[in-house]
Amino acid sequence: MAETNDMEQGLRAKAKELLESGQVKVVIGYEAGSVPFKCAPLFAETPEEADRLVWNPTCVNNLAVYLPEAVKRGKVAVVLKPCDAGSIVELIKEHQIERDDVIAIVVGCPGVLSLDGLSEMDLGDIRSIEWRGNGIAVTTGAGEVTIPREKAFAGKCLSCQTGEPALADIKIGESPAREPLRDAYISLEEYEKMSPAERRAFWAKQFERCIRCYACRAVCPACYCSECFVDKAAQLWVSKSTDPTANWFFHMARAMHLAGRCIGCGECERVCPVRIQLSLLGKKVHIDVEDMFDYEPGADPEALPVLGSFEAKDPDPCPE
Amino acid sequence: MEAKVISKQDIKNWLESLAGKYEIIAPVTEDGVTRFRTVQDFSAIDLVPTPAAGSLRAVFTPETETLFEYELSGHAAEVKVSEAAVKDRLIFGARACDAAALKYVDAVYSNVEPVDTLYFNRRERTAIVGLFCSNPSWSCFCTEVGDFLTNPVGMDAYFTDIGDKLHAEALTPKGEELLSAPQFKPASEADAQAVEEVRKKALSRLPKPTDHAAASKSYDWDHPIWARLAEKCLGCGICAYLCPTCHCFDIQDCAMGSKGGRFRCWDTCQFEKFTLMGAGHNPRPSKKERTRQRVFHKFKYSPERYAVLGCVGCGRCIAACPVNIDIRRVLEELESQG
Repeated sequence: MAETNDMEQGLRAKAKELLESGQVKVVIGYEAGSVPFKCAPLFAETPEEADRLVWNPTCVNNLAVYLPEAVKRGKVAVVLKPCDAGSIVELIKEHQIERDDVIAIVVGCPGVLSLDGLSEMDLGDIRSIEWRGNGIAVTTGAGEVTIPREKAFAGKCLSCQTGEPALADIKIGESPAREPLRDAYISLEEYEKMSPAERRAFWAKQFERCIRCYACRAVCPACYCSECFVDKAAQLWVSKSTDPTANWFFHMARAMHLAGRCIGCGECERVCPVRIQLSLLGKKVHIDVEDMFDYEPGADPEALPVLGSFEAKDPDPCPE
Repeated sequence: MEAKVISKQDIKNWLESLAGKYEIIAPVTEDGVTRFRTVQDFSAIDLVPTPAAGSLRAVFTPETETLFEYELSGHAAEVKVSEAAVKDRLIFGARACDAAALKYVDAVYSNVEPVDTLYFNRRERTAIVGLFCSNPSWSCFCTEVGDFLTNPVGMDAYFTDIGDKLHAEALTPKGEELLSAPQFKPASEADAQAVEEVRKKALSRLPKPTDHAAASKSYDWDHPIWARLAEKCLGCGICAYLCPTCHCFDIQDCAMGSKGGRFRCWDTCQFEKFTLMGAGHNPRPSKKERTRQRVFHKFKYSPERYAVLGCVGCGRCIAACPVNIDIRRVLEELESQG
């Protein structure tokens, strides 16, 4: 899409301007990865480095994860997909960054790649990936292949509403208006039909393969605690062993810690080396918070954290 | 022993004939994840291209392993020390990289007293049948760090997929014993030729050797790359947890009332608390020190200490890193002049 190429050019120009004028110390964005189907985070401190910024379907990372550390350098600009912008709202709400510390550059997003969508291809043969029509075009040694969005894009992209991002200082391009292909909570439909015993068995099977690498925690912008509960040894909350009880406790406690704070970026599930369905867990907690408290994380920077505040209308299931 | 072949249809009953004597461990795919698991249903074996998400590490050093348990009664304690493998095991479908990694870990664990009897007991009681990688992944670079893909180490027999059958070479007396089963027939000239074709095709997709051990002698402790890697590295630990040569563990005790025990579990130098000392000092306080440590340990300290590189080029860290830290690019930059 010529328009998307314009977004990349516009992004570079804006980043250079911010760095040249000294408005920001660093622009955090994406650059080309070591292979054509991946990108890498870029911390551009000079206009020359800003020229390496890219914006294409491989830009899957939620860069908000870097902010609490990065703002210690000074003012920071960060490239965000509209979905990622919600992370900034939460970080501001929880005083991990000040509103003035960050310039949020929100890029228009047609959808980002899921590598599963390329599973039938020889990844080693890919030359480039770009947005095309409603999906992507992949150039290989043998020619070009177009892949429709239902196959190419991450699950979250297929239910994206592409509304206005909750927060944006600069907008580069617009997300194309389109019908979501499916409901955001479609994966919950099957799940909610399960009885408690079936759900227990489902998660027991998922967590059995957890190796406690903590990649889910490391990639999550909401997991910024300087000392995570699992790392505490003096008061031990959860055993370091990977036995079923310990794994269960880690994941369920983390889900509770994220209740009302997780904005559904899906990075946890993307990075999990054993493919635990973490976004399903996040979505379930999300919908419960929505039902109970009529609260949407990542939407309103002025709102108080839902589990850190009390309102008279909060549900009180205890009988009189 | 001359080379043999086994028809793919006969694999199942060959493994079945061994099932009485061996616990069979092979790659199994569940929910899209392939890991080495004990199998009873041999039709579930999934010889995926390369390599399985799980290495052989868990087969020899489980993610969590009880070292001993105790029960107190009065002033006496009954202690039960764990034994390792109680049955002989056979790994079917191991990759050359993972088998070579075991030889590396052997060298590391042999270097100390007391000897890790749990690990070595399992090593002695586990036969390994490897499978040549006909279709190396985009992230594979084993040929860059060694020649074990074509000259395998750490395994008893090496199979190569040549269509409707697997070509089989015995590499040890144990391997000869395994290949003397009736399902194996002598390999023909045509079979040997087919193996050559498969080998050639795979090698054409893989990089040339680089002497990283020699290059590591001049790695720069203060290279600007460390600060840059530290910026984007999340400290997540996936690289270490999927790495077949990684071998570090933590030891923890647990006690509840009169019962308790000690276990060990995987750990990684990529976690902040790994080098945190009791008095509060941490010699690797930031990701800069920790990312440097990973590279130096594998490519510099290992050859210095054990005369073996600490990386087998399996590429799992490359494929799994959420922020595309690609060790091949890191080494290129470290080793470039100017």
